[in-house]
Amino acid sequence: MNSKNTSSPLLQRPTRRTAGLVLAATTAALALTACQASGDGSSPTADRNTASSADRQTPDGQKNTTKPHRMLWMGDSIGEVQAPPLGAAMKAAHVAFKSIAAAGGGGVVGEIAQPTWEQLPKELTSFKPDVVAYQITTYDWGTPGEQRAAYERLAKTVNDAGAELLIVSAPPFKVDDFYRSHEAAIKTAPKSAKEVADKHPNTVRFLDTSALWGTDSTAAKAQRGKDGIHSCQQGSAAFAAWFGEQLHKQYGFTPAAVDQWATGSWTSEKVYAPLGCK
Amino acid sequence: MPTSTKPVRTHRRPHTMIVPVPSGNRHIAPLDGLRGLAVLGVLFFHAGHFSGGFLGVDLFFVLSGFLITGLLLTETQVRAGRVDLLAFWGRRARRLLPALAATIAGTLLLFWALGPPPLLRYALDDAPWVAANLANWHFIADQVGYWNAADTRVFGHLWSIAVEEQFYLVWPLAIALLARGRNGGRRVALVAAAGAVVSLVLMTVFTNPVDTTRVYEGTDTRTFSLLLGSLMATPPATRLLARAGERATAWGSLALACGVGAYWALSDGQNDLSLFHGGLFLHALAAALLIACLAQAPRTLAGRVLATPALRWCGLVSYSLYLWHWPIYLLLSEERLGLTGWSRTVVILAVSLAAAWLSKVLVEDPIRFRAPWAKGRTGAAALLVAFAALATLWALIPEPQTGAGTVDVTRLVSAGTVPHTGATRRPLASP
Repeated sequence: MNSKNTSSPLLQRPTRRTAGLVLAATTAALALTACQASGDGSSPTADRNTASSADRQTPDGQKNTTKPHRMLWMGDSIGEVQAPPLGAAMKAAHVAFKSIAAAGGGGVVGEIAQPTWEQLPKELTSFKPDVVAYQITTYDWGTPGEQRAAYERLAKTVNDAGAELLIVSAPPFKVDDFYRSHEAAIKTAPKSAKEVADKHPNTVRFLDTSALWGTDSTAAKAQRGKDGIHSCQQGSAAFAAWFGEQLHKQYGFTPAAVDQWATGSWTSEKVYAPLGCK
Repeated sequence: MPTSTKPVRTHRRPHTMIVPVPSGNRHIAPLDGLRGLAVLGVLFFHAGHFSGGFLGVDLFFVLSGFLITGLLLTETQVRAGRVDLLAFWGRRARRLLPALAATIAGTLLLFWALGPPPLLRYALDDAPWVAANLANWHFIADQVGYWNAADTRVFGHLWSIAVEEQFYLVWPLAIALLARGRNGGRRVALVAAAGAVVSLVLMTVFTNPVDTTRVYEGTDTRTFSLLLGSLMATPPATRLLARAGERATAWGSLALACGVGAYWALSDGQNDLSLFHGGLFLHALAAALLIACLAQAPRTLAGRVLATPALRWCGLVSYSLYLWHWPIYLLLSEERLGLTGWSRTVVILAVSLAAAWLSKVLVEDPIRFRAPWAKGRTGAAALLVAFAALATLWALIPEPQTGAGTVDVTRLVSAGTVPHTGATRRPLASP
């Protein structure tokens, strides 16, 4: 199969494969002989064991109490298309990042969330995040009580693993025939999440993204793609930039400048192609 | 879909044992027409004019199961219960692979020259899976249904060819084992019926309302259509229909044709969940009965309508038409043509028909009927060379760069006072 990313349009595929193999071998050799852990979170989906004390210190050697150092990103397919620039932005800010956002799932409410509850504890154990960001999914279907119970369970699971929970409201999206019967639940989910965050002010926080996206999925501000649900590269990058600033407000985090990450190789991620993005 | 409609049994012999005959040169004309109707349904469905047209694929499956099983059972009668599997697979390969390889190569070249980069990128990703006849599982893994990504995958329609090819690998083996000895036909019928029920259960169990790709494109979950067609080609089913008599068969075929037609007309598209809870199974069952009735009594009213020359012609080019129509639809987009609605449909249909005719005349028929070298060892060698050439083409086409220039950094800079690490922020762009 073709490789996922392209490095140069001028290189033919076999050449790229050879170059990739050489690069992989070199990287492996360097990694084996390196004196310190890398810990740069360079891959959105890897980098499970790269936390080092260096990550948690400022350049002058002081203990760095800001967060995050290791971020786990959760959500559905909307979150999945936001993950590539988020990973790039976090990497540029020397934060280890991993996304477990899942197309067609990723939620925590109801039966449909079962795969999430199976996966999350394993990720918390192996990746050891200090902040877990959960973007409310389009599948958080249930009564407000069921939603609150699910978010409480999420908070307890994350907090018990030593991480803080940051719940992020979903962007506005087109409620098509598939979502119509769940419209009420989709509307109550952010309110339910905020109530849970308010109950746990020290360990759970809530981010209302309407400041970024607005509330109308058809408006230009919502930056939805052709399907009215997902964002393309520009919208996803806008979220990553905005999210970095919110992390500063919430945890004192210092985001990387956008020109360090916003036009990187992540823009060619395959996930954007089925959405009609360029 | 791409099977010949040479007769597998005599018909119109009510109240007597039906004996499949291995002859000939005759076609069951209504089945050609039925195949034509199936491909037209798919063409209009993909053109956005007929929400039930996707059921044409199901009809192809049933037809394929019926015809393949009929041919294999006929062979077991002639060869004392034995099936020459290598010869069967050789015939299937000559029938299917040349046109498929030509479509893959032609599509890659066309989209390399003219296509939008994201479509070429996916075409390069999908091509090896298509060539290996495993495209359906690749698309399931990619959740193409969830992403509603069909219009970005130029080979997206070839999942059904993969399902058929996988069936052609396994089912003849099963028949070769089951048809030996006495009551072989009955054993084949029992296994086909049982397999169809198991397949239906799998479809029901695996249905996920969020993403139906798994059940829509899975070989296991779609096998019931092929097996129901197979069931109707077995001696027990044939005898049952023969006992019913020609008059009853004629009325039956008319009623079934109307029923299937009504289901097509009323269908609400391929995301309707009732399809996966028995709807597709009932459609396949009705189609299988219709096909059996038409084979039994081809000169009835329904048979005569289906045997009209235009429908039969579409049936005869249906394989190449199916292969080529979707890449052509995506290549001749509204933006490129500057046309929308029916005016665009007329153009893309005309181009698809022309491509299908060329493929049949230049690729399909010569290799099937006029190329002795395409058989035996030379045929196998030719196949290897063709796919090696295809692999070379695939490797030579540079993977296109997508996503470049999609982010305007100046639009990301807020007016806030949050400090940033790294480079200085760029000034806001002028409007």
